[in-house]
Amino acid sequence: MRILLIEDDAMLQKQVLAGLRSAAYVVDTADNGVDGHHLGDTSPYDAVVLDLGLPRLDGLSVLRRWRAVGRDMPVLILTARDSWHEKVAGIDAGADDYLTKPFHMEELLARLRALIRRAVGHASSELRCGPLWLDTRNGRATVDGQALVLTGHEYRLLAYLMHHRERVISRSDLVEHLYAQDFDRDSNTVEVFIGRLRKKLPPGLIETVRGLGYRLTAPT
Amino acid sequence: MSRLPARGSLRIRLLAGTVCWIAVSIAVAGWGLSSLFRRHVELQFHAGLQTHLDQLTAHLALDGQGRPTLGAPLSDPRLRRPYSGLYWQVDVLDGGERAQPASIGVLRSRSLWDDVLIVPPDDPADGRVHRHRLAGPNDSRLGMIERAVRIDDDAAVGGRRFRLVVAADEKLMIEPVARFDGALWLALGVLGGGLIVAALVQVVVGLAPLRRLRVALAQVRDGDRQTLEGAFPAEVMPLVEEFNSVLAHNAAVVERARTQAGNLAHALKTPLSILANATAGRDDEFSRLVVAQVNSASRQVQYHLARAQAAAAVGVPGARTPLQPVVDGLLRTMRRLHAARALELRLSSPAAAVFRGEEQDLQEMLGNLLDNACKWARSRVEVDVGQDGQSVILCVDDDGQGIDATARAAVLRRGARADQQTPGSGLGLAIVDDLAQLYGGHLQLDDSPLGGLRARLTLPAAR
Repeated sequence: MRILLIEDDAMLQKQVLAGLRSAAYVVDTADNGVDGHHLGDTSPYDAVVLDLGLPRLDGLSVLRRWRAVGRDMPVLILTARDSWHEKVAGIDAGADDYLTKPFHMEELLARLRALIRRAVGHASSELRCGPLWLDTRNGRATVDGQALVLTGHEYRLLAYLMHHRERVISRSDLVEHLYAQDFDRDSNTVEVFIGRLRKKLPPGLIETVRGLGYRLTAPT
Repeated sequence: MSRLPARGSLRIRLLAGTVCWIAVSIAVAGWGLSSLFRRHVELQFHAGLQTHLDQLTAHLALDGQGRPTLGAPLSDPRLRRPYSGLYWQVDVLDGGERAQPASIGVLRSRSLWDDVLIVPPDDPADGRVHRHRLAGPNDSRLGMIERAVRIDDDAAVGGRRFRLVVAADEKLMIEPVARFDGALWLALGVLGGGLIVAALVQVVVGLAPLRRLRVALAQVRDGDRQTLEGAFPAEVMPLVEEFNSVLAHNAAVVERARTQAGNLAHALKTPLSILANATAGRDDEFSRLVVAQVNSASRQVQYHLARAQAAAAVGVPGARTPLQPVVDGLLRTMRRLHAARALELRLSSPAAAVFRGEEQDLQEMLGNLLDNACKWARSRVEVDVGQDGQSVILCVDDDGQGIDATARAAVLRRGARADQQTPGSGLGLAIVDDLAQLYGGHLQLDDSPLGGLRARLTLPAAR
């Protein structure tokens, strides 16, 4: 899962970045509205954490511009402005959630998980595909009750496939959502990670759809 | 609202001045006209006497025996009607003492009948005319003129002297004057009454813009208008413009206070977030201290920010907020923020009422109530908006577990929390109550028909 974090306070950005990375998200950051808007406009993100008081272009304007051109990724506003008047304005500008400072990292993560889940149409935080379970709250994956041991990259790949199970996911989609903007993508090809993940999962769970990509599907 | 004691009334001042002036003018005019007329009548009266005297003088002659006689009768018929009020008489002067006629009334008008006119002792030179007043027949007062004439007579050396007297009842003069005065004062009274009515109309019409100004001010105070509107006369316009600029200045001050309070809160909260996050995952005494103090500080910031913003706005006249858009906006927001709970959120009927106050304050109050209800509700939250005379009443119902009647008062105290488990600063309901009281309203907690808590918010309504 790839997250865009737009926050102008360097210290807070560092803390949130660390919190997001520890939850196995791939994160791009921006410290002003113009750069943040550009990133959100050009790259696919699974969610955006957006501060409102940004230099160069304020957060609400960034959000309105995205929504105006049909960018519909879930956006969580993280701001010190906590009056209901501002919350209503944020929601009406197209935000999906609104968290006020000071906040607890756990709450931010919980809300992000819920946003991402709802964006792809899942009601529960526990995702299931045949014998495979994934609890997004704690990042635990089990097959028939047996815990899987996954690396960060493998977890991200599995979580993305689980969120979009029964759908064909192209390689480029996976690349877009699993790597940060500045990552050297050639050295870690998607195929390598798909191969490693297949070895840890029951056979047949990850199908290769020739010419299109991959699909996670429950055995019938 | 306390009223300052009024010092006099413009209307009474204008009216009293006008009425005084009208009364004085009419009195002076009446007195002047009456005097003029009286003088005119007097002149006429005496001119008439003079005419008769001249006629008498012209017709007086001596007969063969040297007795005075009239060559022809005098023309005025009143002289022949008894006691008609117009008389003449001829006295013989010569032979007697000075000014004491030898014989009175040797010739008289028929109107004198048996009476004679007793003329005060006087001895005018020949040909001179003297005036007197004297008592006449039937207790009348007469005005008279006399003239001494000398008629040459062969029988007497130096001729004979006679006194010719013409008199008229003064009633002939007084009655027309009295009639004229009656008619005059009646006419002047009608004129004065008309002028006073005209002055009254003028004052009412002239002061009408002030009454419109008062109505416009009341509209501003009641929140129906933001500024004084309407066309006023040039004399009142500067006042209206000054007042509007004061209103604009007030609004600007409030906006600045809000912005500054918001900026301060924003500036404080980011460092507080950093402090709180820095302790994440640590569980030593220092971290617990930091967390506790950060929580306390952020609660204080939130509480005083809300109060400062509301206190700045309360008392600014002209603020009015229709409820429907605010409720709609907050319900949209709540559906998003509590999307995971899949709550049924609804407004029971369209809200036509208008709150007399700032939109942001209404959002703050209703937002906190709705947020609280959404946190506690099992599946349903209902908003009901009504109006009761001068008050808007907002009810927010949920089907959660409610708050025990004994704990309700404590919840409204600053910083108290019914349950530490549910996220939130625990200030929500206390802030709502505080804001409502700043507006002269209040928050009341009851049992809800849905099974949970009913928060009933009473606020002033705008007309």
